[in-house]
This record gives sequence, structure tokens and C-alpha cells, in this order.
Amino acid sequence: MKTYSDIAGDGGSDVLGQVLQQRERIAEAMAGIDHVVAIGSGKGGVGKSTLTMQLALALGRAGRRCAILDADLNGPCQARLAGLERAPLLPGDRGMALPRTPDGLGVVSLGSLLPESEHLAFDSVATGDSHVWRATREFNLFQQLLGLVDWGRLDFLLVDLPPGAERTLQYAEALGPAARFVLVTIPAALARGVVARSAAALGTTPNEVLGYIENMSGYYCGTCDGVRPLFDGAAGDAPELGLPCLARVPFDPRLATASDAGEADLPPGPVLHALDEAAEQLLRCVA
Amino acid sequence: MKFLCVPCDEQMKLKHALGPDGGSVALVYACPACSAEMAMMTNPHETQVVGSLGVKIGPGEAPETAAAASKCPFTGMLADMGVPLAAQGADRDASPADGESGANGGNGAPAGIPWTAEARERLANIPDIVRTSAVAGIEKFALDHGYDEVDAAVLERARSFFGIA
Repeated sequence: MKTYSDIAGDGGSDVLGQVLQQRERIAEAMAGIDHVVAIGSGKGGVGKSTLTMQLALALGRAGRRCAILDADLNGPCQARLAGLERAPLLPGDRGMALPRTPDGLGVVSLGSLLPESEHLAFDSVATGDSHVWRATREFNLFQQLLGLVDWGRLDFLLVDLPPGAERTLQYAEALGPAARFVLVTIPAALARGVVARSAAALGTTPNEVLGYIENMSGYYCGTCDGVRPLFDGAAGDAPELGLPCLARVPFDPRLATASDAGEADLPPGPVLHALDEAAEQLLRCVA
Repeated sequence: MKFLCVPCDEQMKLKHALGPDGGSVALVYACPACSAEMAMMTNPHETQVVGSLGVKIGPGEAPETAAAASKCPFTGMLADMGVPLAAQGADRDASPADGESGANGGNGAPAGIPWTAEARERLANIPDIVRTSAVAGIEKFALDHGYDEVDAAVLERARSFFGIA
């Protein structure tokens, strides 16, 4: 009896060929991007998205062309951070046009299309069993975004990852080995422990982890114009990350307010200084 | 997936398909040697999982209209076999929004205005899941600015209006 490999083709669908076509399209779309850096954590609520936006702005101040891809498909917030909540996704002749802030920062986020009162919904003929297929569908959408956007020439594409240590690993595999990672933590043992899991997961991939940024590393007090401690316990007994610290960024209430309003610019001060330092470190890492 | 007629040791060939019906497609294969037939029937979960991969099952490319109108991963195969598109729910109106179903963004979409073939073709550059939302946004822009049709020029004006490179 013939075996599977004795029969040429796959019955006519050429599924493998279709998958290869998808990968080729992504590679073609991203050919003008010098560096893909994914900003992850594993832990939610550590400020990944705000930090991703601020890092992109800092890279812009350093003269680099940047764009952000909001990979948090279920909780997209880059559109709000960028003030692009009402910017429609428009088809161009070479791909989907890249929405930009007035400062020229490209931002692709489902938040531009989905009102915050709606969740991301997919068509399904298998009602009630989304746990079976949804992650596959989400990564298919993520790869469509990678392959369909007209990214043009970019020095950096920053990918804002969703929470979840396993998601960090999955996005490493979806982005491919050339994508580098920066992990975000806060000086609390609870967060650092989860970030350590993400670092361990990434250690099983060929992707380079450039280091971590400690966010909310104290807070900026406008009254005394200084940085005060925010987490007394610091990292406690959490495991060492074994990664270089790229920067420690204090929390600034003014940034939180501005982010909610889609006004990302920060006045000069210790937070802006720390963000610029993070960008400089990142540039050194990829040089 | 491949099917083998064991007595004849021959690969069975796709003969025709039934459905989709309730998320299920019946694919009928026949042995070229003995003419024996068998049917593979997908359950909705299998149809959904295949659809989630973003691949089409079946030989050849579906006509653009069918591919754009149907969420069924078997669209390509059914079209190639000459199954009438109407049976797949592929009727289309003038607005591309009417051809998309069930995904985000349908709420609040305008009634729809005509699109030129060129503008419609560009929609392939928008991920399918958010295409309805994109169409709604573009049509709102067109109506708000007094256009009665979406063409490539309207798309370019929308890009300029929204400051999109």
C-alpha cells in the first residue's frame, strides 16, 4: 500500500505552499526594517505599552525612524497613546497605509478600529469553542498585519506584546529569530518573578534578549523635583533576570495623564532623561 | 490530507463538494480505478480550525469575488468545482461592507456606497477581520466629504485628511 509520501502533492490545496507564500509576503513587507524589537514582560500592568511608546519617541529624538505594531490584539492601547483612535486603516496601492502621529511615528493598532466598548470578535462556525482555535486565528491576524502594512524604510519596528510568558515565547516564534526582545519589569518581586519566567522561555529560542527596563523605579515628585521610592520591598527574593538593565524609569503622574489623553510628550526631567538613556542603550545593543 | 483507495492502491480524486451547511462541508472523493466513492465531512470545529490558519483548502484560486465574500476555507475548492457562488452566500452588493460578515466593525457601518474595482482591489491590503471597520470608516469619510463613490482618488484624499503616509 502506498504511504503518505508516495503520493505527490497534498490533494490539491498546497497548504505548505500557501504558508510559504505568507512568510515570503511578510519578509517582503519587512525588508525595509533594520531592527525589530519586541517589548514584552509576561506580567500585565508594568507599563509595557506606555514604555514602548516612550521608547519609540526617544528613538525618534535620537533621529531614528520608528513604528509601533500593537500586538496586544485583545487589549490594544497604542492607538489611544498615539492619539490615533479615530485614524482609519486605509488601503494603499502597496499595502495598508501606515497611520502616523503628527510627529511621524507610525502606529498600527486595532485600537484605531475597535472602540474600547467592543472586544475583538472573530467569525466562527464553532460557537462556544473559541479556546480551540482563537490563538491560531489571532496569530494569523498578527501575521497579516506584519505582511500587509506598507512599513517603508524604518530603523526600528517596536512590537508591543500582550501579557503572558507563553505569549512572549509564541511571538518570538512568530516574529522569527531576527527579532530581539526587551523585557519590562517593575521593582516588585511579584512582577520580577513573572518576567524571569518570560526570560527563561525566551532562553529556549534563538532570539536575542537585549536586556530589561525597570519601570516605575521610584516616582517623580513635582513638589520636591526629585525621584522618591515607590516600592520599598524592591525585587525581594525574586530570581535574578541575568540580563543587563538598560534603564530605570521613574513613574511620572504627568505621563499617566498625558498618555490617557493621547499626548505622549513629556517635559524635561528625570523620566525623560531615563527614557533617552534607554534609547541610547538600545542603540548600543543593536549597533 | 490525502485519501487512498486501499484495494486499488490509488489516490482518490476530489469529485464534488456539498455545503457549506451549518459550518460543515462534505467532500466527495472517487477512486479513478474502481470508481468507489467516499465522503469526508468536516464538523464546524474542523472548518473553523482550518479557517483560522488562513489557508484555503482545495485546488486553484477562487474568483476574487467569492474569496472576498466567503469566510469558508473551502471557498477556493468549491469555486474551482463550479459550485454556484450564490449557494455559498456570496451575493454581493455595491459596498464591500456588505460582503463581509460577522467580524468586528459592522456596528454603525453606513448603508454603503459604490466602490470602483480599483478601490475594491486595494481592500485586499486590509486584514479580513477588520476590513468591515475599514470600509465603514472610508465610506463615512466619503459621505462626509460629498463623494458618491469610493475610488482610488478618494482613498488618497482620505490618507491626506488623516495625515497617513
